[in-house]
Amino acid sequence: MTSALEMQHIRKYFPSSRVLACDDVNLEVQKGEVHAIVGENGAGKTTLMSILYGLVIPDQGQILINSVPARIAHPHDAIRLGIGMVHQHFKLVPSFTIAENIMLGIEPNRAGFIDGGAEAENVRRLAESFGLPVNPDLRIRDVSVGMQQRVEILKILQRNAQILILDEPTAVLTPQEVRELLAVVRNLAKAGRTILFITHKLAEVKAVADNVTIMRRGQNVGTHATHGISIRDTANMMVGRVVTLQVEKTPAKPGEVILNAEHLLVAGSGGIPAVFGTSLEIHAGEILGIAGVSGNGQTELVEAIVGLRPVDQGTITFLGKDITHMTVRERREMGVAHIPEDRMVMGLNLKTNLDENVVVTSYHQQPYSKRGFLHLQPIRQLAKQIVDKFSVRSARVGEEIKTLSGGNLQKIVLGRELKGNPKLIIANQPTRGLDVGSIEFVHKTLIEERDKGAGVLLVSVELDEILALSDRIAVMFAGRVLAILDATEATEEKLGLLMAGSALETAESSGEKAHI
Amino acid sequence: MISFLDRYQRPLRFALIIVGIGLLLLVLFGLPINVLQSSIRLATPFVLGSLAAIVASRAGVLNLAIEGMMLVGAFIAVAVLYKTGLDPLVGALAATFAGGVLGLVFAVLYLRIRINLIILALAVNLFISNATVFFMRTTFGAFGTLADPSIRGLPTLELPLISQIPFLGPLLSGYNAVVYISWLLVAVIWGVLFRTQFGRHLRAVGENKEAAESVGINITRVQVFALTFSGMLAGLAGSFLSIGVLSQFVENMTGGRGWIAITVSLFALEQPIPAFFTSLFFGLSEALSFYLQSRPEIQLPPDLLLALPQIATITALILVAFRVRAGELLKRRNFAAQFGRELDKLRQGQLAGD
Amino acid sequence: MTLLRRAVDGLSIPLLAILLGLAASSFFVILAGAQPIETYQRLFCEGFGPRGCETFGDLLITQVENEDGTTQTVFSPTYGAGGSRIALLLEQATPLILTALSAAVAFQAGMFSIGMDGQFLMGAITVAFLGYWIPDQIYLLAGVTDPEAAPQALLTLMHLFVPLLCLGAAMLAGAIYSWIPGYIKIKLNVNELISTIIFNAIAVQLMGYLVNFPLRSDLNNIARTRRIDDTAWLVPFNRGIFADIEWFSGARLGVGFLIALAAAVLIWFYLKRTTTGYEQRMTRGSLLFARFGGVPTTRAVLRAMLISGALSGLAGALVVLGVERRVVDGFAISGTGFEGVLVAILSKESIIGILLVAPFFAGLNLGATNLQFGNLPRQLGGIIISFIILFSAMEDFLRLRVASLWSKRLLLQRTPTVDREDGAAA
Repeated sequence: MTSALEMQHIRKYFPSSRVLACDDVNLEVQKGEVHAIVGENGAGKTTLMSILYGLVIPDQGQILINSVPARIAHPHDAIRLGIGMVHQHFKLVPSFTIAENIMLGIEPNRAGFIDGGAEAENVRRLAESFGLPVNPDLRIRDVSVGMQQRVEILKILQRNAQILILDEPTAVLTPQEVRELLAVVRNLAKAGRTILFITHKLAEVKAVADNVTIMRRGQNVGTHATHGISIRDTANMMVGRVVTLQVEKTPAKPGEVILNAEHLLVAGSGGIPAVFGTSLEIHAGEILGIAGVSGNGQTELVEAIVGLRPVDQGTITFLGKDITHMTVRERREMGVAHIPEDRMVMGLNLKTNLDENVVVTSYHQQPYSKRGFLHLQPIRQLAKQIVDKFSVRSARVGEEIKTLSGGNLQKIVLGRELKGNPKLIIANQPTRGLDVGSIEFVHKTLIEERDKGAGVLLVSVELDEILALSDRIAVMFAGRVLAILDATEATEEKLGLLMAGSALETAESSGEKAHI
Repeated sequence: MISFLDRYQRPLRFALIIVGIGLLLLVLFGLPINVLQSSIRLATPFVLGSLAAIVASRAGVLNLAIEGMMLVGAFIAVAVLYKTGLDPLVGALAATFAGGVLGLVFAVLYLRIRINLIILALAVNLFISNATVFFMRTTFGAFGTLADPSIRGLPTLELPLISQIPFLGPLLSGYNAVVYISWLLVAVIWGVLFRTQFGRHLRAVGENKEAAESVGINITRVQVFALTFSGMLAGLAGSFLSIGVLSQFVENMTGGRGWIAITVSLFALEQPIPAFFTSLFFGLSEALSFYLQSRPEIQLPPDLLLALPQIATITALILVAFRVRAGELLKRRNFAAQFGRELDKLRQGQLAGD
Repeated sequence: MTLLRRAVDGLSIPLLAILLGLAASSFFVILAGAQPIETYQRLFCEGFGPRGCETFGDLLITQVENEDGTTQTVFSPTYGAGGSRIALLLEQATPLILTALSAAVAFQAGMFSIGMDGQFLMGAITVAFLGYWIPDQIYLLAGVTDPEAAPQALLTLMHLFVPLLCLGAAMLAGAIYSWIPGYIKIKLNVNELISTIIFNAIAVQLMGYLVNFPLRSDLNNIARTRRIDDTAWLVPFNRGIFADIEWFSGARLGVGFLIALAAAVLIWFYLKRTTTGYEQRMTRGSLLFARFGGVPTTRAVLRAMLISGALSGLAGALVVLGVERRVVDGFAISGTGFEGVLVAILSKESIIGILLVAPFFAGLNLGATNLQFGNLPRQLGGIIISFIILFSAMEDFLRLRVASLWSKRLLLQRTPTVDREDGAAA
């Protein structure tokens, strides 16, 4: 049996961000194999795959396809060699139909004029032959995420890809969609295609892959047969030390209700409701986790609570006051803190210095300003306090903060938001894209705040994080809270079913899918 | 941007219909036929200019240098014909070529050297408006206006058969070659954009660069082509200004028409055929202002009439945006009302259940 | 970073851009059949040079007013002849500083407004009208039939308040004219670049209409408004307090320049040291960030647009009140607003940069205008400026090239700091 793919001594250094993304990486994959590549964010998985697909040119190393050395300088070359890639962010044209997207670049044409009928027919036949039915005439912007992913897979199959790279394909899917995808992957492998499956979810690796390669800090730290290695061992290899899957915390001592949201109706972009009649309560001294596949209204709910998005119906009460129509500032002054989903764009202004970043929530108050004039000294002191208290590394006073690492940036956000002992902390994906050390720090900080008596609303798409931190867990699906469980009675399976939209009773009997 | 505009096609189509009805009314109220003819004639730079804007922005680059590219075309057309006795069509060709060269330079500066698009456009426009006058004075020794008997304008062509059609004949025939070419280009560009492989690739590049790149489409090549072609269209539009109407070059004779062409393309949602009809409207308002100037008994200041297209554009932009916003608000309000009713029902049901 | 390092860092690219711009423009000089070095020497002499350096300084065009109200163009030795070239340059730089500040304030709120020309015209036409209308009303109220015979106390009082009223009105006019594009951007998301361009065009036509019809004062072959009343006139230094000082004698440099300088200081303070300035800068940095932090972003942006418009309106007003004293048809093509945008771009919106670049542009234009008499069109100035803008916008490209020229060695020495993060594929 020949290997379908070999990557030898791959090295890639990014001078602009000063990152050594791949450091002498070797990889060998057999034909018809599902090969998982796991690693934390920033371990170099995506870079390695980008090199294989010709999006990134390596500094060193060579690639062999079917034991023949190959030069891959452009996706063109990769496609020609039978390599296809489904990216984490789909590369589809929203206003084009499914058929137009699948056939983009290889349209059946006569003298340059596209034959639309043949195109749709082609796609229909292709979809049938792989058992992946689609309606070729629907526009991409009108179909679900799962369907878009299917289109991406068909797109590369249409190009006769023998090696399929799937970059974190399950991150955007519901557990049910994940199950379907895994079945598709197994079928493709059975049909002789080679699949590179990139993920950091180890349960999926167990379920689908034959072999697994573990990457850490730009290096391949080992390739193993999946049946020969446990999830725990894999996890340890990923982070390079023993992971504590459990976060140290004492049981919560919930106080009275501080936030009460009732029957919220919040519009997403385009005026269509994204939050549909959601109600929830948060007590002082507890962490309420919101689990759910991203894009089910969590962000809109958070934005409605902090005042960034208008509420069309329903009320929000905070500390006994109706805050439904208050401005962001009024809410902040009452003690609402917000750790946003996107720290690069929303949490911080990367184009300015530390001082101006830390004072954005309080610049209008004394001592930072008086009668409209800024007082620079107190602002600088505030920045120093935050740097010291949260040990923000390599933050230089007066310089733009864009050079800081993700963990340090998040510490700045935390420092600013937690100053002045907020009563309610809304944390939306607070650990996304952070390294393990920073994640631990964020978790510890949130629990500390809870123990000090603050109510915490934690939104995360990582079930582990929700399970580890929350005292109560709400599951959101399609803009509604389907159930609120006590952390002690929540299991990953139960949450998974709820996240896919099953009603609680069905989830508990873990029977068939209920209609909503 | 395109997908955003695409989604709100209906309000715009509505606005276009209104414009069409307005045009019809004017015809019914009996404007002299020559005013209508000159409307159609004067629409030509807008037709070509908006096509230039459409081609570029469909490929994902806002060509804000159309004004300069038009001016280059206008100047080169006259410069080539000056004392050479060449056929005016050669002038139009040279203008197209010059616009294309400028488009290519623009593309290289933007795509290779990565100059900020807006600053680049401002600098190019400034450069052209100065350089044309500079050469006019140094090379031709002319001040203000460059005219010479040797510069012949594009001849009028009567279309056989079509010119015989009663009433429509005089409207569809009796223009110079560039006018007919512009009509042809509307159809050709529509066909290329929406019916050919290249057009689809171009639109894919404009709407989602990564999608195009991932299937091996060479983005840079598509964009360089689009900008070059856009420049050629703008150059041709410029040649119409200088040798299609008056056979002379006047300092800064484009007078903001390049910018109007960009707004035409925005107004038409980057669709060639609506852009053609929007251009007719601008042609009409220009023709009207000339007409009224020639009729001193109608006391209407020409300056205000010349502002008409601009006011129309800004009004149109506001109306379109307003309709979009209003539609969204309406949708939200409807959902809220519906939701309120459901909630009430739910509460009543609960009470009954208790 | 030390102040010196920062100064060197900030100046090196603009200076390089200027040198490259001149080099590129020399191509056009040669095409026109002139010697580049000689031409530039003359250009700078005419623009910035000390007395005696210039060759054609005494041949500047002026419009001389005849008794019957008509004007004639003469090559006159009276204007620009005496006095310092620097004074002339500062006269021309005055409105440029203000429009550049105007552009900078708008840019620093994240609005790419280039409507300075329209606002400038609005300010100009407002004072061109109010400059005689307000005094007329006052004379009417006070029952004065002949302003010459008006009581001195009244005239003194009017001298104090009429210009102030006029300037205030012009700032208001400019502010309103700038607020509209700002409002429709914020509320309806209408692209401000396009809308301000259209607003400029509308202002030009409106101006043409006003000067040709309602405000036309006489049958002079070029339409123009009535001259503003003497009480509204901001008397230039050479006609007023410094009439005896030779340095001022050639230019209509006046109190307007001091106003522009004061505006620069105030705007710097506003942007850097007030909460409102902070608000608009944060809004520019990232709208989401500002809203997230509770900054009233809509108010901040609209405020910036008002301030921006007021500055441009002020620029127009100062030109009319201090220099031209009336608006003549064709005033609209001055392009002061657009040049202000270019100044703001080249100086990267820094206030000190604006104070340096605006006089530089003014000098270039002045020099180029005077070159005209050496048979090189004044458009050479515009060509040079467009090249300078182009080269300064190539900053990243230049930095890379320059850096690789003299510090290749340094770059190689720097050992990679290994963060081992996934910076790829993005």
